[in-house]
Amino acid sequence: MNENKIVELATEQALVLDCGKSLKSFKTAYTTYGKLNDAKDNAILICHALTGDQYVASNHPITKKEGWWSYIVGPEKPIDTNKFFVVCPNVIGGCMGSTGPKEINSETGKVYGTDFPVITIADMVRAQKLLIDYLGVEKIFCVTGGSMGGMLVLEWLSKFPEMVHSAIPIATATNHSAQNIALNELARQSIMADPNWNSGNYYNSDNKPLKGLSVARMAAHISYLSKDALHSKFGRNLQDKSSLDYSFDADFQIESYLRHQGFTFVDRFDANSYLYITRAMDYFDVSSSNDGSLIESFKNTVSKILCISFTSDWLYPTSENKKIVKVFNTLGINVSFIEIETDGGHDSFLLEEPKLFEAMQGFIKSTYENL
Amino acid sequence: MSLINEKKDFKIIADLIPAKSSVIDVGCNDGSLLEFLKEEKDINGRGMEIDQQKVQLCLSKGISVIEGDADLDLYDYPDNLFDYSILTYTLQATKSPKNVLSELVRISSKAIISFPNFGHWRIATSLLINRKMPISEKLSYSWHETPNLHFCTINDFIDLCEEAGIRIEKQANLKTNRLNKFYGKNLLNSYFNEVGLFLVSKIKN
Repeated sequence: MNENKIVELATEQALVLDCGKSLKSFKTAYTTYGKLNDAKDNAILICHALTGDQYVASNHPITKKEGWWSYIVGPEKPIDTNKFFVVCPNVIGGCMGSTGPKEINSETGKVYGTDFPVITIADMVRAQKLLIDYLGVEKIFCVTGGSMGGMLVLEWLSKFPEMVHSAIPIATATNHSAQNIALNELARQSIMADPNWNSGNYYNSDNKPLKGLSVARMAAHISYLSKDALHSKFGRNLQDKSSLDYSFDADFQIESYLRHQGFTFVDRFDANSYLYITRAMDYFDVSSSNDGSLIESFKNTVSKILCISFTSDWLYPTSENKKIVKVFNTLGINVSFIEIETDGGHDSFLLEEPKLFEAMQGFIKSTYENL
Repeated sequence: MSLINEKKDFKIIADLIPAKSSVIDVGCNDGSLLEFLKEEKDINGRGMEIDQQKVQLCLSKGISVIEGDADLDLYDYPDNLFDYSILTYTLQATKSPKNVLSELVRISSKAIISFPNFGHWRIATSLLINRKMPISEKLSYSWHETPNLHFCTINDFIDLCEEAGIRIEKQANLKTNRLNKFYGKNLLNSYFNEVGLFLVSKIKN
């Protein structure tokens, strides 16, 4: 029962978005693994990152690669699918089946494009809440995710505290720094600078803004890696050649690698979705509905929480994650924190990192035993 | 650091803490003291530990633990968050024992501190006779590989508390397993106790 499912939500009452517009009868595509038990206390919600999707532990229909968190999710893994009922939805605004810019607007019968309303992380969580309600889960045993997924986790803890028994926000932040926004703006500008983007109207065209999206991915990919990892993996090594070409071809391995990352990404991702989701991340500030007070934002949080950061992550560094820990500590919340030493950079949460595996397994297992 | 008479120390510490107190154990090791206190006194416990492998152990036991450094990370806690803070066999390994002590009595109403007493007669005579840094059960490292930065005697500790505006409320005698009212600085105290174990609090202005 891990095939992709699509459900229509907010069929009776529209979902009101932060921007003031609303979505009625929107679709959420999601996967589930394992079974909800009779006590309904074994549900784990996994929130994906910017370019992630619902294929958390099953092969991706486009890339055919195994799920993005297969290392963590599966039988006998930290998120044990023999034991837990695992839910992973594609966020709204996404492009893997949930309502987003490339889907049809049911009111007009046309593709949304940039008519799709600007959404926020809070909107994504409100949409996820409707899915959780639909699945009959009243209290989620654990909500987890890295990067943007971590923001969704924080939003859950802030807005639906009574529904979350435990949570693992990984490599994330309570809001986007100027540096984070700058990098996302670079990505958006590269998409919009592609003439094929055509103000977001490209769905009926043979020419899609693949170059712009590809460059956006290349820029982002650099920010996911650490300098040390890039150096040890590629150094200044040349790609299939013994000397410089004195041209603008990909002389260096790192160039070739980045181009490959860009080219393959466009097969599975929609340029407009990239604009919408990065915007949601930039707008994110979990304290915005409480006049900037993090203490107010989490004052009703009662969950048991494990925060995880990575030493070489410069996008969502340990200092940002510790800020979250400090807020939880101040409120006397049951919080744990671990900083994993690795040169894997921000992407570490997606890599086969044994210390991440061990921490998640230890926390989830003991928390479930003491439920 | 391994605690030699672990259970004995644990018992004395448990006797100092009322049931259902909130407790932070700074340098909580594998979390066994917190587990013991949970069982004996149903405490609401938190740990801080610098060694990641031990942090992992705590997580697997369901203990809420922060990977952190007593010298750096106590500042992140608000005043009087806990009823009790505990620092066992760690004070001598901190960079700034005075700041750490002050932080402990800031974040909790009372603090329980234990440390190996460098003034114990066996240590003192060993140094006097062998002219080498003493190695004992409680001080089990060679001088060149010890994590201990600031050795002190019980009398030194008493002086430091006075300097830092900290009141000593009780002192444990680990030989007799008894908690004594603190009688003050004297030669015999520093001479015969292998370990100093104190209950302290901040002197309110």
